[in-house]
Amino acid sequence: MAGKSGRTISAVPQKSILKRLLSWEGALVLIFIAVLVMGRIMSPYFTLENVLREMPKYLAEILIVFPMGFVLIMGEIDISVGSIVCLSATVACFAGNAGLPFPLVMLICLLTGLACGLLNGFILTRWPELPPMIVTLGTQIIFRGIAEVTLGSGGSLSYVNSKDLGILSKTLGPFPVAFFAVLIAAAIFIVVLSTSTFGRKLYAIGSNRTAAKYAGIKVSKIRLIVYGLAGLMAGMCALFILTTTFGANTTTGQNYEMDVIAMCVFGGIATTGGKGNLFGALIAGFSIVCLRIALGLINTNPQLILIIIGLLLIISVLISGISQMRGKKLKKKKA
Amino acid sequence: MKRIISLILVAVMAVALLASCGETTTTTGAKYALVTKAAGNAYNEKEAEGFKAAMEAAGLTSSDYIIRHPEQATVEAQIAVINSLISQGVKSIAIAANDPNALSSVLADAKAKGIKILTLDSDVAPADRLTFCNQAGVQQVAQALIDAVLDLTGGEGDYAILSATSQATNQNAWIDAMKAIAAADSAKYGKLNLVEVAYGDDEPQKSTDQTQALLQKYPDLKVICAPTTVGVAAAAKVLQDKKSTVKLTGLGLPSEMAEYIGNDADHSCPYMFLWNPIDLGKLAAYASIALVDGKITGAVGDKFEAGNMENSPYTLTAVEGTNASEIILGAPFKFDPSNIGEWKSVY
Repeated sequence: MAGKSGRTISAVPQKSILKRLLSWEGALVLIFIAVLVMGRIMSPYFTLENVLREMPKYLAEILIVFPMGFVLIMGEIDISVGSIVCLSATVACFAGNAGLPFPLVMLICLLTGLACGLLNGFILTRWPELPPMIVTLGTQIIFRGIAEVTLGSGGSLSYVNSKDLGILSKTLGPFPVAFFAVLIAAAIFIVVLSTSTFGRKLYAIGSNRTAAKYAGIKVSKIRLIVYGLAGLMAGMCALFILTTTFGANTTTGQNYEMDVIAMCVFGGIATTGGKGNLFGALIAGFSIVCLRIALGLINTNPQLILIIIGLLLIISVLISGISQMRGKKLKKKKA
Repeated sequence: MKRIISLILVAVMAVALLASCGETTTTTGAKYALVTKAAGNAYNEKEAEGFKAAMEAAGLTSSDYIIRHPEQATVEAQIAVINSLISQGVKSIAIAANDPNALSSVLADAKAKGIKILTLDSDVAPADRLTFCNQAGVQQVAQALIDAVLDLTGGEGDYAILSATSQATNQNAWIDAMKAIAAADSAKYGKLNLVEVAYGDDEPQKSTDQTQALLQKYPDLKVICAPTTVGVAAAAKVLQDKKSTVKLTGLGLPSEMAEYIGNDADHSCPYMFLWNPIDLGKLAAYASIALVDGKITGAVGDKFEAGNMENSPYTLTAVEGTNASEIILGAPFKFDPSNIGEWKSVY
């Protein structure tokens, strides 16, 4: 049994329902339910209405989980997304305050994100030997730097025509618009990853980039697209953040990259590439968000929340590590 | 194997969560909330300490109030905290805002639920809150500074002011008010002579240069008053290094000024001022209670009792140039050799 490491271009395991339940995603669903039950027990305020009302800010973050999943599956990392959120929100504020119509502002916000993402992609494909961690660390500083310079000394800019943003902060029934944005994005990204050749190629690149290249996969083109997507979704995140903060400031989007990477890793995506899927990341994201909301409702010390999330991360990588080791041992025995 | 692991995991989480429950005040039906700028900020911790002390002095228990420190010093973390407090149905939220504008949306939500919003330490747009607990009013700061100059000169002689930039709003307001107070009471302040207002632009090096220039230009100078934390620290170092007889006072951070504060010839600054964060927290607590009880509405002219605080009862005054209200804490807090040791580690 090759375990999850068998999930490569050559071997797409067809799992039975039982196997699925016993997989990491199955465990995540259980964890998610456990979080909901515990939240309900711990606080009488942990109701659907309250949770959904507190959720938009977190939903905006979850939008970036999907492209980040792509990046991680390729065996790479993008830590500039938080700064892209900041820069996109800043640009959108300036555009909106200059009197541009709102649809145009939305477009500009998305395009700013896309441009930032493509810049990352361009640098990384032009010089493929550069480490993505360092390049995106550089652009992280640059993008936030540009936003800070543009924001000026006050470091904060409000979106004057905040009525425009109402469209994005509306609710359909109890569900905020951001919730549907996440569902739609999830559907698209999950289908692309699991059924299209593009998705298969991501796993191939993550498993062995050189081999993928010699197999005729246009690695550079795919990497450029993926980094572009990360930027684009960061731009979309910025739009929804604007609906909660009604403006941009120098700390907008701070640490988002870490939150998002944590969700992906907790969801079973290996940072070494070639492993994991977005369904796991989505459930992991919602679990972490609901956990945060629940712990907030009982007024837990914020550091404690961070410690718990940190522990969850270590446990989740530990488990995939253990199953990998077991897989290797089994192989050795067979040989 | 996986199933066992997942079960263990769920168990671990349950234990972790229950453990966390034990440590926190699981509050149901708490009324008054305080939101600080961030966890781990010593100045904010002092505000929270005061808030807690006042709540307990008012006969409330820990289940009646919530103190929340956001994870990070960002407005987004504060929004998450305020949302959580709205869910809990609190009656009032006192907040030290991380951004003047960005809380507008979430505070409007809170207001719509009937929650009384007030700010302390740093304000938001007046439309988003009922009142603002201001750490220091212009008049009080100016009065404290001019009296310090009077005291340190011995009642007469030359003094100079070392300010921040020439456009700095706060400093200019304080300096103008000092001049006005001195002019209004010439019997008391008439023998004081302000020789120059120098500008160090809140840069350590320029403030140092300006201090040295003042010493050269005015040999009879007795006192330098620096109403800026950067200026006062720079001047303190110059005077102490030169063993100058010129004395210093002003507004400074205890942590930066501790080594210069003393009554003997070896120290350049006998005493200085800043605000007391503990009292500010107390004021916010009493104002929260008064707002929830309906004793005040946040209108200019409202009055409320603030326990055993020095300046109680407090009156809501208008923020200069607007009809929004604020509550001024009172005279700035004096740091002298007797208390600097305790405060230098605070902020």
